[in-house]
Amino acid sequence: MKKIVALLLAVMMVFALCACGGGDNKDDSQKTLVVGIDPEYPPYSYIGSDGEYTGFDIEVAQAACDLLGWKMEVFPVNWDNKLAQLDGKECDCIWSGMTILDSMKEAGYVISDPYYDNTQVLLVKKDSPIQSSADLKGKTVAVQLGTSGESLLNGDLADLKATFGELVTCNSFVSAFTELGGGSVDAVFVDYPVAAAYAAKNEGFRIVNENLGAEQYGIAFRADDQELCDQIEAAVQQLVDNGTYQKIAEKYPDIVSNLIYLNK
Amino acid sequence: MDLVTMITTMGSGFGKTCAIFFLTLLFSLPLGMVIAFLRMSKSKIVSNVTRFVISVLRGTPLMLQLIAVTYGPFYLFDLPVSRNKLIPVVIAFAINYAAYFAEIYRSGIESMPVGQYEAADILGYKKIQTFFHIILPQVIKRIMPSITNEVVTLVKDTSMAFTVSYQELFTIGKQIANSETSFMPFVVAGVFYFVFNAIVDYAMGKVEKSMNYYK
Amino acid sequence: MKVLEINHIQKSFNDATLHVLKDISLSVDKGEVVSIIGPSGSGKSTLLRCATLLTEMDSGELIYLGKVAAKNNAEGKAVYSGKTELKKIRSIFGLVFQNFNLFPHFSVLKNLTDPQVHVLGRTKQEAEERAMTLLKKMGLEDKAAAYPCELSGGQQQRVAIARALAMDPTILFFDEPTSALDPELTGEVLKVIKQLHDEKMTMVIVTHEMAFARAVSDRVIFMDGGVIVEQGEPEEVFGNPKTERTKQFLRNYQS
Repeated sequence: MKKIVALLLAVMMVFALCACGGGDNKDDSQKTLVVGIDPEYPPYSYIGSDGEYTGFDIEVAQAACDLLGWKMEVFPVNWDNKLAQLDGKECDCIWSGMTILDSMKEAGYVISDPYYDNTQVLLVKKDSPIQSSADLKGKTVAVQLGTSGESLLNGDLADLKATFGELVTCNSFVSAFTELGGGSVDAVFVDYPVAAAYAAKNEGFRIVNENLGAEQYGIAFRADDQELCDQIEAAVQQLVDNGTYQKIAEKYPDIVSNLIYLNK
Repeated sequence: MDLVTMITTMGSGFGKTCAIFFLTLLFSLPLGMVIAFLRMSKSKIVSNVTRFVISVLRGTPLMLQLIAVTYGPFYLFDLPVSRNKLIPVVIAFAINYAAYFAEIYRSGIESMPVGQYEAADILGYKKIQTFFHIILPQVIKRIMPSITNEVVTLVKDTSMAFTVSYQELFTIGKQIANSETSFMPFVVAGVFYFVFNAIVDYAMGKVEKSMNYYK
Repeated sequence: MKVLEINHIQKSFNDATLHVLKDISLSVDKGEVVSIIGPSGSGKSTLLRCATLLTEMDSGELIYLGKVAAKNNAEGKAVYSGKTELKKIRSIFGLVFQNFNLFPHFSVLKNLTDPQVHVLGRTKQEAEERAMTLLKKMGLEDKAAAYPCELSGGQQQRVAIARALAMDPTILFFDEPTSALDPELTGEVLKVIKQLHDEKMTMVIVTHEMAFARAVSDRVIFMDGGVIVEQGEPEEVFGNPKTERTKQFLRNYQS
């Protein structure tokens, strides 16, 4: 009995030390930009096959920081709490396929110029009879909690939502797509690139050819960080001018056509 | 992503899961004893206030308490949010579990026959000796099954830390699942939790057995 | 000097609606064995609990070897002495419970040594020597390493007596020591008490064993309805009871 207790205590101490030891050993001589990302949002930000965070937004942010001579640190946020985490200074910006909402501007957040035109689409099974949003009458549709798709359905597209038989709110893309594959929902209301990536990787799905609700992505900063926003925007513009931006974008064919900087 | 990378990536999250687990037990087991004593206090005010606090802690979702502990100080007092998420996570878990342990301790202490106190009293033991020599060892034996239940639940509850984006096992599993649009990480996470719980079960069984020498 | 003096104890329960002890006085001399008999609810157990400080009396005096444990204040309410004084007084007496109340998580030996070490401050070796002597006397030396749950009721009660004796009390109380035992096991416990009687141990025994009370007591007290109805030498009380109430009680017991 005493031996077991002693052993348990020893194990606890080790974990306590490990857990505390991993603290902030930041080098103050160099500015660090902490980029808040949604780690579950391919292709903008996600865990790559090597287990490290990667994605279009992360690569651009890294290139911008390299240009500015800053260090970059990726901070995975809980998307539902992202603004609280930004306010709480856990990160310096949210840069992760974030839809610009009027409510954010009204709340005083500094938002960069939009860099991506996003469209919402419907992902259905290949043999599905659904050809347009008009066919959704009485059907079961899934959407991910906390995404722009969900807020659209509760705002501009509320009339469309009213025709659904049922709206299922999933807490991740995987569960939404799995519901679709398993036949418990008829369509998933989702960002185009996410749908495209999934349909390319998995047999038996197609995207309904209709753009539902347009929106734009931007980078969010705290209310008093206009200067930081300006620095980042200038750096991104430089990346566009020197061709780095284009090079990064080509790695992500699903989104390249909608990047605003490249369509100017 | 190949399975080895997946397991090693999630393994780093598993270390953090273990940190939550052990630190929570380290703090909540003694804290629960303190709360149990406040709850059994002769002062009506102390005992009723404690009862209210316990019912709040047991009656609201742990997820909410995690958010409150992590972001509450920022919204209420404008204090910066801790970058090391382990601190608020362990505080929230420790307080929540202490409330459950307190009620287990209390039920155990109150189930002790009064004769044990009287025998100790007659023999001349001091109150504190009576508690630590005579009562507590027997209480521990009585409550061990309930404690084991809570400890097993704790292993699974650690996954709630994802609420405040602490990068523990389940949070990372979920990230990989969505990045790879694959269910495999959930299977791997399940195996991790199951193996962990099997070890916990075995250890707790050993402890229970070590107290089987008397009835 | 009297070992124990009890003067005018009053005790009520349930906000004075249940008057259990009505002005009881009693004293015990050194070496005396006093048995208290009487029907259930007569107050004999409460008297024992008041005498051993387990229950606080409402009014009255309680004195051990001249040391005052409690006495009345001006309003006639019992006031107990300070902690240190009571601690000293507690060391004067021992109590053997109806249900033994051994510590189940301690071995028999530890049940005897732990209080000696932690209350009396004896060394482990001294305590063990004392414990083994007593266990031998109880015929239980081979059970030293056993746990209480492995013993019969009679053996457990003998361990409980040994535990009380290990603290070297001046007076030993017994609260119905054989009531929880199967009839065939009472003999071994009574034998031990008889042995203590032969060694001139001062004892107060609450019991239902009439024959036993008659055999070992120097004095028998018959209680009923919260008062002492009759007391005297055993031959007197059992052989020639003076009150109708005592006669009736003894008749019921004999039939």
